Amino acid sequence: MKAKKAICTTVSLIVLATAAVGCAGTKEPNASKNVNQGTDNNNAAVDNDGAANTGDKVKVKFAGWGDPSEKQVFDQLIKDFETKNPTIDVEYMHMPADYVGKMNTMLAGGTAPDVLYVPDGDFGRWVSAGLLMPIDNYVESSNIDIGDMWESGLKRYKYDGKKTGEGELYALPKDIGPIVLYYNKELFDAAGVPYPSAENPMTFDELLETAKLLTKDENGDGKPEQYGMGPAWWEGWIWGNGGKILSDDRKEFMMHEKAATDALQFAADLRNKHGVSPDTRALQAMNDGQMFETGKLAMMQQGRWMVPTYRKLDFDWDVAPNPTNGQWDGHSGSVGLGIYSKTANADAAFKLVEYLGGPEGQKLQSEMGFAIPSFKSMANSDVFLQPGQKPEHAEVFVKAAEVQKPGPWTNLPNAKWWDTLNQNLAQVWDGRKTAEALMNELKPEIDKLIKEGNPKLFE
Amino acid sequence: MIMTEVSENRPVQPSRKAKRKFNKEYLWGYSFVAAPILGFMLFAFIPIGYSVYVSFTKYDAFNPPTFNGADNYARLLLEDPLFWKSLVNTLYAAIGIPIGMAAALAIAIALNQRIVGIKFFRTVFFLPTICSVVALTLLWKWVFNADYGLLNYLLGLINVSGPAWLNDVRWAMPSMIIQGVWAGLGFHMILYLAALQGVPTTLYEAAEIDGAGSWKKFLYVTIPGISPTTLFILITAVIAALQDFVRFMIMTEGGPEYSTMTIVYYLFQNAFRYMDMGYASAMAWILGILIMIITLINFWLSRRWVHYE
Repeated sequence: MKAKKAICTTVSLIVLATAAVGCAGTKEPNASKNVNQGTDNNNAAVDNDGAANTGDKVKVKFAGWGDPSEKQVFDQLIKDFETKNPTIDVEYMHMPADYVGKMNTMLAGGTAPDVLYVPDGDFGRWVSAGLLMPIDNYVESSNIDIGDMWESGLKRYKYDGKKTGEGELYALPKDIGPIVLYYNKELFDAAGVPYPSAENPMTFDELLETAKLLTKDENGDGKPEQYGMGPAWWEGWIWGNGGKILSDDRKEFMMHEKAATDALQFAADLRNKHGVSPDTRALQAMNDGQMFETGKLAMMQQGRWMVPTYRKLDFDWDVAPNPTNGQWDGHSGSVGLGIYSKTANADAAFKLVEYLGGPEGQKLQSEMGFAIPSFKSMANSDVFLQPGQKPEHAEVFVKAAEVQKPGPWTNLPNAKWWDTLNQNLAQVWDGRKTAEALMNELKPEIDKLIKEGNPKLFE
Repeated sequence: MIMTEVSENRPVQPSRKAKRKFNKEYLWGYSFVAAPILGFMLFAFIPIGYSVYVSFTKYDAFNPPTFNGADNYARLLLEDPLFWKSLVNTLYAAIGIPIGMAAALAIAIALNQRIVGIKFFRTVFFLPTICSVVALTLLWKWVFNADYGLLNYLLGLINVSGPAWLNDVRWAMPSMIIQGVWAGLGFHMILYLAALQGVPTTLYEAAEIDGAGSWKKFLYVTIPGISPTTLFILITAVIAALQDFVRFMIMTEGGPEYSTMTIVYYLFQNAFRYMDMGYASAMAWILGILIMIITLINFWLSRRWVHYE
């Protein structure tokens, strides 16, 4: 009996203790949440965090994603950074999957790292919620020559309190990945078709003619074994054709205008009317990248990041500007390096951003071949152009980086308008509706979603 | 279901003698249940309560919520066609429930026979249940592939040109229903198998003496005999269907043209893609109330057709 009672007591005590700890554990975040609401106490919280640093070393947490080769490069960069800055200790958190989902949670919980990757598509949402620190002052007093950086790369990390693209700078580009036209030289040779120009974008007529010559349906079953052109990265086609996706003030959806619908319709006609581009069904079996890699697709649009993969292909290929029916255009992807607005170690955090986004970090990253360096002078040097390696016309990337805009999804913090557009575009791609009809039909709905999702813009 | 019946039928009535011991013994009792109760309060009840508050605010998860009255509910019910579309889609997807239940029962009956290798067949049919949802949905994405998919290959053998399934507005939801029926089969089959074996043989004997054939035995003995299990499957399947989400996210992302956007997927998008927590919480509450109403109706109707021994 006694033993039984003793066991009972012990177990109950453990249960109660656990419960008490549980209580204490949950109280803390609540408390700090309240603290953060008051500006006075905010400093207290910061001091608290600062006190956690042991000795002279300042700890900077840094988060990013990327495949193993990117992690390797960053491990190396961080090691080098720590050697040069012995007082700073960097904790690198590598999150290979669902980075944005995890970061949203950390940002909401107030436990975000000091330095973080900021995808340009999420920048608007994070900056408008006050989660990023403006870095203008830091950049001015640093050794970074902002004039040597791509304007298109910097611009997307600016925010004026209402919209992105103007105002203060909140992140440095880690990279910028322009989109270009890749083509299989051997298929061009076999069909006796001249290569696309590396200087002038193809017009829509030229693209159609070229694609027709490169489409082969030898067994005549109506399903070509070789297609001329891959699916359109249509944003640049609209811009190049003189159209707009959003109005300049971002308050209005503009794809119902003729220049835009013409470009969309042309892209859809390539599949449905001319049969020179794979349709949804064919792409479901094998996507454009796989078709290109296996010699079943002569031309397609892709980002810079495919270069390391394509260098291993056993056929010869090259790059040309996006077919835009006009000036060079298109969109480039980018990831920024931002600083969490509630960081306790802003100085040390910026040092890391400066290093990774600056010349040293950029040099190592561009040697990987995934992205183009943020500095124009470096992009024009052998570090990036890597003569002797494919592609022959690597300068196409340089020009593309200079002129290409951020993707339209970076233009507004709330992306519902964009999702709705994309959900509906299939009707044009599958030829069930004309671009003109669909865009006019969608305009009121998308205008409403823009207004609803981005109230700050309309204040 | 059976479990709750048992516990409801045996309420603990403290006798007078026991009441004297109330303080001491009950204290022990309470301290033992403290862990789960506190865990529930902290990780379920308080967050659930908080979400009621959040549903009446504008809240992006980063900045403090600001009260905006019933705005979220008004917007949801009056101004958001996509919410209604996702609701209709979710109910459409629930067509799979009766189909799946009938199929599960048929298989359970087949697997209730004494034949060679029965354990092997039972294992085969139960296997999908223990596989990861993600793996299964990826597998089915291939089954539904327009040109190389197994389904269209089989249809091709009988000279039918199959649709593009998941990429076709008309076929995307039927595809998801087929996948859902298949995925739920194993678990429902096992429940039915257990229920079938629980129907007393005496009842069958009595029916036989009365001259009932196998069809009548099935209709008047088996069906009523397994009706508590049917109710359990029905209620859990309805709740699961109304909350269905992961396989839609992986297989269709709600497309094409939002034809497979379910309520919970739309809720997830609002919460974690558009960071509109208040709106998402309002959706969650409407869904919660809807589930509650449907479940109550199910229980109420069940009085007419569920027979407990």
